Amino acid sequence: MNVSIKEKAQIKYSDPNQFDENNHTTEFIIEVQNLEKTFNDVKAVDGISLKVRKGELFSLLGPNGAGKSTTIRMLTTVLKPSNGSARIKEYNLLEEKNQIKSLIGVCPQENVVFGALTAEDNVEFVGRMHGMDPAEMKKRMTNLLKKMNIAGRKKPVKSFSGGMKRRLSLVMSLINHPQILFLDEPTAGLDPQARRLVWDFIKELKQIGMTIILTTHDMIEADSLSDHIAIMDQGKIIAFGTLEELKSNSSNGNILEFNFSSRKELLNAKNKLEQITEVKTITEKENNKLVISFSGGIETFKQKILKEVDSFKALHFREDSLEDIFLKLTGRGLRD
Amino acid sequence: MYSLDVKSWYIARKNIKEKLKNLGSMFWTVAFPIMMLLVYKLAFSEGDDAPMINGLTVFDVEFPGIVVYTIGMSSVTSAVMFAMSKVDGTLERIDSMPVSRGNVFLGAVISETVFMNLQLILIFGFGYGILGAHFEIAMLPIGYLLAMIFGIGSIGLGLIIASFLGSPEGANGIAMLSHMSLMFVSGSFFPLDHGGVFFTPHYWLKQVYLQLTVVGDFFTDLLYSGNIILPTSQTSIFPIWSGILIILAFTSTFIILGVKIFQKKTTL
Repeated sequence: MNVSIKEKAQIKYSDPNQFDENNHTTEFIIEVQNLEKTFNDVKAVDGISLKVRKGELFSLLGPNGAGKSTTIRMLTTVLKPSNGSARIKEYNLLEEKNQIKSLIGVCPQENVVFGALTAEDNVEFVGRMHGMDPAEMKKRMTNLLKKMNIAGRKKPVKSFSGGMKRRLSLVMSLINHPQILFLDEPTAGLDPQARRLVWDFIKELKQIGMTIILTTHDMIEADSLSDHIAIMDQGKIIAFGTLEELKSNSSNGNILEFNFSSRKELLNAKNKLEQITEVKTITEKENNKLVISFSGGIETFKQKILKEVDSFKALHFREDSLEDIFLKLTGRGLRD
Repeated sequence: MYSLDVKSWYIARKNIKEKLKNLGSMFWTVAFPIMMLLVYKLAFSEGDDAPMINGLTVFDVEFPGIVVYTIGMSSVTSAVMFAMSKVDGTLERIDSMPVSRGNVFLGAVISETVFMNLQLILIFGFGYGILGAHFEIAMLPIGYLLAMIFGIGSIGLGLIIASFLGSPEGANGIAMLSHMSLMFVSGSFFPLDHGGVFFTPHYWLKQVYLQLTVVGDFFTDLLYSGNIILPTSQTSIFPIWSGILIILAFTSTFIILGVKIFQKKTTL
């Protein structure tokens, strides 16, 4: 069942060039063609193709091991593709690495900072590597550190908390005014406040027209920030589009969640629900909970279902979320 | 394409700042050689202060061994530095910036050279200035230069070790093992009477350094008479340029191999 959905999804969305023409410029700043990376006969990235418009936030969403970070590492020139090609702005990924490096900022998945140095030393080092003017760099560094709430700290960054290191890493990736910013799980390990701070900041960057490529397995993050989302699994892009497109193309419809007092009541209800034609899937969850996806309107279905099932503790209708779509397409929860 | 020198200098500056804040590294590179000097002085002073040959004491003859040890420690510190950069992702982060590997290697050589200079100044100041080791001042700059060249070769050895090891701890262990083994096998710590010494660059540095800076003017007499002081406890003749050539060959071979192997192993 899952395989067929994935196959269907792939047929339907494997051409990610089908953009809508909403608020973005038509210029593609990144074009990737059949990019592939193999490690010891294992295909980490399996012939992906995608296009990213200038000024948009493009999310690569997928479980751990889906190939998101490998894709980012190839696009940021640190990993050589086994096959395929890519163009970033007017530069060829394979032949013009140095020009590409000057255009981009990279915030890697891990907190990659120079632990013995201060926050300012770390940021200044990156600025120097990009050949920045010292006065401009200093000004920009002060602003960015302030914005990320890590200004004025003179201690080595190894004494920083994980969240502070993450925010510093983000500042390091932005010091050179990159035209394209690669964020590899930028909010992983952050507390809700810090996460919100980073999200707001990413939204600001979008507003000033920076192109952002973000990898995440956080559905809320992808949902709230992205213009376009590519869902990756096992090295392939299995779905692509705006959030609305993904929902309209992949959604099971609406979702109904039932809570029962006992397992006996749950099984009784399940038997009855299986007879209703609008019901598409029924999933048993913990604590005597049933999750049902159904087609058609909520009100009609509600009337129909209340006639059949009456011994429930609570019921809750909601729309299919990105997580539902993701789970449907990948066929399982997040993997380690 | 890149301003190799400027970016390398900033990389070197970063390396120096990092190393200065690493107490463990500072202990092995600065404090430990001074401790060794003191141990040597104490070990060889009682009854051995009497000149063994032409006014030279055992301490005078063994002092170059401490110079070899100190400079050779660059293989350990550079192995740890490069292995660390592989593991903690900083090498990959630098790779994503407009910087070439040439910048990275040159930066490492500059920073290590700064520390080697610091080490030599300390060792010379302590050994010659305070503990009174004998030296020929006219030849000292050449000895100093040779020590630096050997040190750069040791950075190459460190690079090779870092290429094959996945952790700074492992790199530290293997580099320390190789350095200490070479120190003992070469007879740099204590004279050894076997032919294996000739296969270690450490032996040749100590030998050339010894002849230049300790034996000094007396070297010519020794050359003519055929009696050269060797750590092997044997006497034989070898022209000094052959030792210098071996040190140069060691340095160029190890630095080229180190850069090539590290590039191959870390270019993904």
